Amino acid sequence: MLRLFSLLLCHLLMRSLHFLASFLIYSTFLTACSGGAGSASTTENLSAAALLGQEIFKDPSLSASGQMSCQTCHDPSIGHASPFTTAVALGGPTLSDPGGRNPPAINYLKYNGAFKFDPDGTPKGGFFWDGRASSLAEQAKGPFLNAVEMANADAAAVIHKLSQATYAEQFKRVFGANIFNDPNTAFERVAYALERYQIEDTDFAPFTSKFDAVMQGKEAFAPDELRGFAWFNRADKGNCAACHPSTKPNNAPAALFTDFSYDSLGVPRNTDIAANLNANFFDKGLCGPTRTDLSARTDLCGAFKVPSLRNVAKRNRFFHNGKFTTLTEVVNFYITRDTNPTAWYPADPNSVLVYNDLPALERSNVNVTEAPYNRTGLSPALNAQEITDLIAFLNTLSDR
Amino acid sequence: MTFKTTLVAAAVLLACQTSHAQTAKEVAAEMRQMREELRLLRAELEGLKKQKQPDPNATATTAAPNTTSATAADASTAPQREAEAAPSAVSLFGYGELNFTRPKNNIAASEATARRGVFGIGYRFNERTRFVAELEVEHAVVSSGDSGEVAMEQLYVEHDIDDGLSAKMGLFLLPVGYMNESHEPTRYYGVTRNLVETAIIPSTWREMGVGFRGVRDSGLRWDAGVVTSFDLTKWPNDSAQTKESPLGAIHQEGQKAKAASLAYYGALNFDGIPGVNVGGSVFHGGIGQKQPDIASPNASVTLAELHSKWQVGAWDLSALVAEGRFHDISGFNTANSVGNPVPDQFRGWYAQAAYRLWRKGDYSLVPFARYERVNTAVNYSSVFPGQVVSTGPDNKVWTVGASYYLHPQVVLKMDVQKYRNNSDLDRFNMGIGFHY
Repeated sequence: MLRLFSLLLCHLLMRSLHFLASFLIYSTFLTACSGGAGSASTTENLSAAALLGQEIFKDPSLSASGQMSCQTCHDPSIGHASPFTTAVALGGPTLSDPGGRNPPAINYLKYNGAFKFDPDGTPKGGFFWDGRASSLAEQAKGPFLNAVEMANADAAAVIHKLSQATYAEQFKRVFGANIFNDPNTAFERVAYALERYQIEDTDFAPFTSKFDAVMQGKEAFAPDELRGFAWFNRADKGNCAACHPSTKPNNAPAALFTDFSYDSLGVPRNTDIAANLNANFFDKGLCGPTRTDLSARTDLCGAFKVPSLRNVAKRNRFFHNGKFTTLTEVVNFYITRDTNPTAWYPADPNSVLVYNDLPALERSNVNVTEAPYNRTGLSPALNAQEITDLIAFLNTLSDR
Repeated sequence: MTFKTTLVAAAVLLACQTSHAQTAKEVAAEMRQMREELRLLRAELEGLKKQKQPDPNATATTAAPNTTSATAADASTAPQREAEAAPSAVSLFGYGELNFTRPKNNIAASEATARRGVFGIGYRFNERTRFVAELEVEHAVVSSGDSGEVAMEQLYVEHDIDDGLSAKMGLFLLPVGYMNESHEPTRYYGVTRNLVETAIIPSTWREMGVGFRGVRDSGLRWDAGVVTSFDLTKWPNDSAQTKESPLGAIHQEGQKAKAASLAYYGALNFDGIPGVNVGGSVFHGGIGQKQPDIASPNASVTLAELHSKWQVGAWDLSALVAEGRFHDISGFNTANSVGNPVPDQFRGWYAQAAYRLWRKGDYSLVPFARYERVNTAVNYSSVFPGQVVSTGPDNKVWTVGASYYLHPQVVLKMDVQKYRNNSDLDRFNMGIGFHY
């Protein structure tokens, strides 16, 4: 019936188009509109810029030590997370200078945006743990010039090294024969190439986990994984989905397990980080000291970016200061932080020094109102079996 | 009632008798004068009725005699004020459209939504000056967790400067193409608005400013105005929105609109032959808005379109072509290696044929077919060597379907859309639309 209807309409259409043909006085416009040629990029293969980004990402010769590349801290085999078992990486000219934070996993960041405050005041987006870079390209410039990472003195130093690289000629072919004559512009192109590589290479957003297969109806969760999924989502249990949504956002093909927001979790101070040996130093995330533009917003002190939980089970260290080394520790911290604080924070004879990685005045910023934290004086939101289930579910988020 | 009927009949008769000798402008002036007189007489009559009617709140009246007396006196001595408060000065209008969409190759993405509910109110201050406000709710629910939207679609005062010349001031729709000013679902074919007049001409496109419209006896209609423009700082780093509609991604819609750079528009239409309309429009405005934090503070955009419609017998044939060009955008595109550069051009066209197959009373069935070609990023020249750009998509879309009118103001719609360049977008649509 529908086909008959379509045939009838097509017949009417052909007649009407014939009629229209003699009527349209602007056929020249129609001819002009038949174009559309241009330098289209392909979606199947990497662009020339992205291919250069791939070379740059792996190239240790662009560091002062000659031994550190982007890949050194962002290992593709574990979701581009830190391969180090220590809380921070060692960098600098002799690879002996400790960094200040746990190198974050950088998969799925192409779905992130520039830092902003939502209409309700919630900080969102941005790159690095404190969101101070506005794009992947802006972020990519940072490590080249960071004294405790690749430790180049300036953009010119990076470009001088790049001009000696095996892919220098290709760089000139893509970005212009005279590109090395303008080191600042060339450095911008380096950042651009790295951004394109992270956007275009599906290794940075594979969506190949068991969770994805289950969502596509190709596999099924094991019973413990399914229970864990429930604890993950339930607002009265783990409530993990409040900041790590398990539903697909508008701009990605599947759930990202982050809303790119920020939270102050009161993660215990990690004295393995050299800077923390100074009792007066506090890494407060959004309000500084690394980030400088929000130093007056003391209400944001202690807030760090919510990372994606995809590939979380592959990580060696957790949270911005790399305090924890296993998922079990992490989940137990969330569940018992406020029901059993002595397990996590040091105690003096009179009290437990909770949220001890923040100055006393800013400890009130720590999130204590949402589940699973809001259980002071009550039993934990999850029991031991439920925690095991939850971890089983988190393991399904590893790309394969 | 008889009195009113007689008066209206006399007015019509007078208008008919004089139409041969007078110009349309003179007839319009005379009609306006007579309507004004009728309005005054009606108010006077209402006042007299009020004086004669027994007051149902007699107790209250007795308790406050001065107040009642003053009200009656006001009514009898101030017919003008009564007339202005008469219900006829206020008009309510609006439209609604509710859609269901089922993508052919992705059934999981099927969606039913209350696409638009629009509520309008008009108020006529006098014969020459009126006010219009239109409030739109998109997708039924607006909250922090929903993607609905509430917006003032129109908010303006219109004044007749002279016969055939009027001015609008405020937030109003631009006279570009067919659909922007006349987008009620009963007035276009297809469940959703056509692609050209959403992707190339942003829909619904309103700006703040002042606009003039002139109508000549010959059927020539012109529009011109100075209004707010677009805002390049809104251009997103992600191309999803700009591929959908380059101008839709950076529109301001009267919401704290940057106004350092204004825009100018002009439109010309010819309606002098019954059933025929031919016209076109040009818009040019600054989009850089002199903003110091972008590298193209003087960037601008030009949009031009031509359109034509022929309604003959049961046929309704139309076509439209539109093209936009961005200017002075190289600074913006190359600064900080923008991930989603601004294209030079975007354009599209459509040809549509509809045929009223059947009609009985208020009911009618109108099948239609439309072919569209739309490219929201035709080419890029203002980019640096090696910068990745993504032209297109060069959408080529057939839409075939039918509108079944329960009443000229209520329509049930159904159509099938076939994207020749990307079958993933093929879909079946159903919807209901109405206006009042």
